[in-house]
Amino acid sequence: MDIKVFEQLHQEGLIDERSLTTVKTSEQQRLFSLHWEIKTLLYLGVLLLSGGLGILIYKNIDTIGHQVILLIIGVICAGCFSYCIRQKKPFSWQQVPSPNAFFDYALLLGCLTFVTFIGYLQFQYTAFGTAYGLATFIPLAVLSVSAYYFDHLGVLSMAITNLAAWMGIALTPAQILTANDFGNARIVYTGVILGIILLAFALISSQKNLKKHFAFTYQNFGAHIFYIACIAGICIFDDAHVWWFLFMCVIAAYIYWQAFRERSFYFVLITVLYIYLAFSIVFFRILFKATNIEQLYTGFFYVIGSAIGVILLLINLNKRIKNAGV
Amino acid sequence: MLAYKSQTLDNLHIQEEAAKALRKDCIDVTTYRAIEAAHPVNFYTPNPVIKIGLFILTVVIVSFSLGLFSLMTLDIHHPERVIRGLCIFVGLGCYAVLELFIASKKLFRAGLDDGLLWCATGLLICSLATYEDTSTTTWCAITLVTTLLATLRFADMVMAGFAFLAFVGLAFSLLVEMGPVAKTIVPFVIMALSLVVYFMVRRGMRQHLLRHYNRCLTVAAVLALLTFYLAGNYFVVREVSNTMFDLQLQEGQSIPGAAFFWICTIIIPIAYGYLGIRKKDAILLRTGLVLLAAIVFTVRYYHHVMPLEAAMVAGGLILTVGAWALIRYLQTPRHGFTYMEADEPSLADKLKLESLIIAQTYVPGAPKPDMDFGGGSGGGGGASGNY
Repeated sequence: MDIKVFEQLHQEGLIDERSLTTVKTSEQQRLFSLHWEIKTLLYLGVLLLSGGLGILIYKNIDTIGHQVILLIIGVICAGCFSYCIRQKKPFSWQQVPSPNAFFDYALLLGCLTFVTFIGYLQFQYTAFGTAYGLATFIPLAVLSVSAYYFDHLGVLSMAITNLAAWMGIALTPAQILTANDFGNARIVYTGVILGIILLAFALISSQKNLKKHFAFTYQNFGAHIFYIACIAGICIFDDAHVWWFLFMCVIAAYIYWQAFRERSFYFVLITVLYIYLAFSIVFFRILFKATNIEQLYTGFFYVIGSAIGVILLLINLNKRIKNAGV
Repeated sequence: MLAYKSQTLDNLHIQEEAAKALRKDCIDVTTYRAIEAAHPVNFYTPNPVIKIGLFILTVVIVSFSLGLFSLMTLDIHHPERVIRGLCIFVGLGCYAVLELFIASKKLFRAGLDDGLLWCATGLLICSLATYEDTSTTTWCAITLVTTLLATLRFADMVMAGFAFLAFVGLAFSLLVEMGPVAKTIVPFVIMALSLVVYFMVRRGMRQHLLRHYNRCLTVAAVLALLTFYLAGNYFVVREVSNTMFDLQLQEGQSIPGAAFFWICTIIIPIAYGYLGIRKKDAILLRTGLVLLAAIVFTVRYYHHVMPLEAAMVAGGLILTVGAWALIRYLQTPRHGFTYMEADEPSLADKLKLESLIIAQTYVPGAPKPDMDFGGGSGGGGGASGNY
């Protein structure tokens, strides 16, 4: 805090002597926080360590043998989970603070090694045969239970990603567009269903007060996958794109209403932008049924005009959300 | 000089400080409201998330306007002349709109104004590309002038960064043009310039007159620290002089004065870190930490000390154990340092960024027989438990 500012405020009579001294002592006692520096170093260290060990094992796989590696992974996993079970606070449907700084990392490591363990079994020994659904369902079940039982948002995102994998969709932020073949109608339908399921989960957890703080993560994944799937639907179905757009609008209206109630700028923004994008695609698909220079001009004017319109809309919405809470 | 009213910027600073004091319970809500009322800020600054949307849309509008104009004025015989004219026209247009908006709508870091400013300077500078033989010196000089003016007028951090880089680039290209003697002292001149800029900037940050440019000066300070290091880094000096001055070094051959540059490569980041800790200066400390990676990279590039995986394991062990020990050590604050988080909530916390990073580093085994499940390096994004 800037002491000069508070001295000036004191002279103007806006703050009293007591407040000024509190500010001064608080500023004198202020500590230099190394939180982010140390955390970054720790993260980097873990990343290097796991990467280095991975390469080391990969190079020496012939001398070590698969059973030994499986055993090591299993032991790490079991160790982490037993530590977490011993340390955890009693279960509650409310938010439970983690008992200490290492608890979260141990849980994360346990979950990751568990997934690796199952994957290794399937890859090396095809333990589940051709029941590929089972090989992803077991991690899904364990991850979901862990997320709720130990109250961990990171594990919850892993569980959601796994649910998507079980349904056949890659759902990590960078892969969502590259690894999925959205030209395939089946993926589009799956994406829409998955999105709606996740949105429903979000609604249930906030309405029924079951781990209310999980609602954001569900809503976030659900909204994005739903919007992207719908836009893909608009692009690939030649005769039904208007219907897809209308369907998208219905769910978007729900997300928008929900966002307004929670005063979430983020969901309002992504809803506006996705709907704008979808509308523009529909507009251009209708516009470019026949191509000539006039339509090109119309297209340019449309983009410029509509973008200005959306800017005005966003400014207006920003004002309304801000005022909604006061 | 500034496009914004100095009084209002001061009021903004007072409100921010008052908000900090409110969070730390130094003042109560009624006092905060009174301060807010006595020092009003009439700037328009939307929510950070909305800001991003406004920025994207602004850039879309400017680029489509440029497209529309070029479609209307298309001239096959002199395309470069038309494009140059258009760049300057649209760039000036952006600037005019920006001034208009700031004057009438009081925009301040609203996304719209950032978009317009970046487009305006970008287009004006890019109009140079339509001349066939623009020298590096001209590029740097024009960029320096444009971005410096923009920095003075709008106190924009990105503009300040570009202005500093253009300044260093200008010094570099001028020296290169001057001849063989000047070429050999390029690293030393750049280092000296960076140091001078750094100290001037640090002094400037304490000046009352320059208080509204504090963020710009911070950017310049960080960049000056970086260029000071890079100009003395063995890898940079060797490779740059090899490619630009035709030294034709073979692999394993060294540059003149190698010992000096090796010492700089290793000493400077450590000195930054040490000074950062001593002076409790976040700028020095963080720059030093980032540059530690540069030491490792430079050494490993020329000397294969040990195989990659062994180096990774060793480095990882040192970092992990070191960080763990530091966390334990700072559990209770010592020497004015703490592991507790600073009290300002960041945007990353609000968007629950960490859980997204975890989801990103983790790739589930998709149900395909030939799928190489990518477990392993998940690491574990810092799950601090305060979700």
